[in-house]
Amino acid sequence: MNVIFNKRDPVYVQVVRHFKEQIATGGFEPGQEIPSRRELASRLKINPNTAQRAYKEMEEEGLIFTEGNNPSKVTRDEQKIQAVRGELISEAIDSFVESIRPIRVPLEEVIGLLKEKYEKER
Amino acid sequence: MIEVKEITKRFGLKKVLKGVSFTANKGEITCLIGINGVGKTTVLNAIMNLTPIQSGEILIDGEKISKNSYEKITFIPDAITMLPQMTIGESMQFMKDFYKSWNQARAKELLDFFKLKEEEKISSLSKGNTAKVNLLLGLALDVDYLLMDEPFSGIDIFSREQIADVFTSHLVEDRGVIITTHEINDIEHLIDKVVLLDEGIVIKEFNAEEVRETEGRSVVDVMREVYKR
Amino acid sequence: MMNYVKLVNFELGRFMKIYLVLIGITVVSQIAGVMVSANSYLNIASEEMNVNSLSMDAFLQMYGVFSMNNVTRTLWFFGPIALCAVTLLIYVLFIWYRDWFGKNTFIYRLLMLPTERINIYLAKATAIFFMVLGLIACQLALIPIEGKVMQWMVPLDLRIDLTTLEVIHSFEYLGIMIPTTFSQFLVHYGIGLMAVLVMFTAVLFERCFRMKGIILGVVYAVISFFAFISPLLINEFVFPMFLYPGELFILECVAGFIVIACAIWTGHYLLNRKIRV
Repeated sequence: MNVIFNKRDPVYVQVVRHFKEQIATGGFEPGQEIPSRRELASRLKINPNTAQRAYKEMEEEGLIFTEGNNPSKVTRDEQKIQAVRGELISEAIDSFVESIRPIRVPLEEVIGLLKEKYEKER
Repeated sequence: MIEVKEITKRFGLKKVLKGVSFTANKGEITCLIGINGVGKTTVLNAIMNLTPIQSGEILIDGEKISKNSYEKITFIPDAITMLPQMTIGESMQFMKDFYKSWNQARAKELLDFFKLKEEEKISSLSKGNTAKVNLLLGLALDVDYLLMDEPFSGIDIFSREQIADVFTSHLVEDRGVIITTHEINDIEHLIDKVVLLDEGIVIKEFNAEEVRETEGRSVVDVMREVYKR
Repeated sequence: MMNYVKLVNFELGRFMKIYLVLIGITVVSQIAGVMVSANSYLNIASEEMNVNSLSMDAFLQMYGVFSMNNVTRTLWFFGPIALCAVTLLIYVLFIWYRDWFGKNTFIYRLLMLPTERINIYLAKATAIFFMVLGLIACQLALIPIEGKVMQWMVPLDLRIDLTTLEVIHSFEYLGIMIPTTFSQFLVHYGIGLMAVLVMFTAVLFERCFRMKGIILGVVYAVISFFAFISPLLINEFVFPMFLYPGELFILECVAGFIVIACAIWTGHYLLNRKIRV
């Protein structure tokens, strides 16, 4: 686990985002155990309170769940996972559109270029 | 909670602290930042009753500092507090002899963590290792509060990383920490609370995550604005 | 209490190397002194008796018999005593200043120990006191050994063997350091202890207030001195010859106790309220 944090967004938001990416791309399997907050803090080199906050946020969003005293696990809810995936895709598209629009490229050209680039980069 | 209330301090005619107030909570890392001046270290010295203050009050969990407080709060200055002719092992023994809160198992763990050896002499240590021994002697006490004066200054990058790792580990967790620094970059992600000191007063006291969340600004952004006045 | 004992032990340990060197110098120098004086005496004796064919009686008439008195007056003997005394006197100051100086500021550690700070003060004073007693004890043990060395070198006809007590009495400086009655011991060492404590508190004044503290320290020491001799002054100038010697002695003791108590109390106050690292 290696995350490069920017300094202007709340660290816990960045941690949550990192988890969403992992969940959406299958980096975390459904039902997989996740590190304790202390472990996470020391792996990501962040404040344990921040790690705690991130977990609380994810728990509230239903991304992770905790049964009794067991370690927290990634959600098994397929719908949820799909929703996260959708959310990430939509966010990425939004920011792409936002940055391409000022250049005023016709959509067809964008799609063509995008296709070419996307397949080459893969 | 450590409460610093309106403390003032003069060195001769020079007013170093002109009514400094802030609080530091248990379980949080509070960072005392000052770009210039000597105020930061003086605040820590004052909390530990290592320098007299002219007015104001300092409370640790609601109580004034006494001899028993030193089992509850410890200070890691930027110079080592042991005699140069002692070995690391002897320094640890000294601490064990005097402090009930000394945790020998934790001390050994720290020794491994920092890759230090008990038989090394204090006087023969590099700057980075001296800082680590200093940290070891403080962290191995089972105290609720830790004060650290410039733990990152003047040491090599690897020692700095190692020391930063301490902050995110169980060695610090759940304790209240106050650190002073003039260089925040390395540790922006590690701290909870920031107290900006300038010209002997607190010019801003804020929570780092909160500023990022509500204002979309980094700690350095805030400092830039505040110190530019 | 345990912390006080540990601190005394620690303070003794810190000075042990230099202390052992001092004892070593004393032993070597004084025994060398016995040998050198005995040797030169014997050389003179053999010259006078063999070359100038003086009779032994005539020689003894002229030069006297050899005893430890011949030794105690040499630099070999009292030199190391003076060295020890001066070193310890300097150490009365240095025992404090060494904690502040250098990159390794041990005073932080001492002041942050979970014990009353006055224990640091008392432990340092006790360490000095023990070191003085230790040196005296060594000196006492050394005198009979030196007597043995003398016996071994100088023939019975030419020497007088003195007891340790006689050696002490023969030399007034030794008499001050090694009192022969208990009350004398109390007086000499009480005054010594008082002087050390006043010195300590004066040093603390300097440590608390730095430049201003030097003046305060000196003023404090002068006041303490006059407070201590005030019964003598009163008896001399205010009510001349008003007191019997016994009464004067008791008043002196009282004055001494007051000065000691003030030194400790002031030290306690300064360490708790005014000290700075």
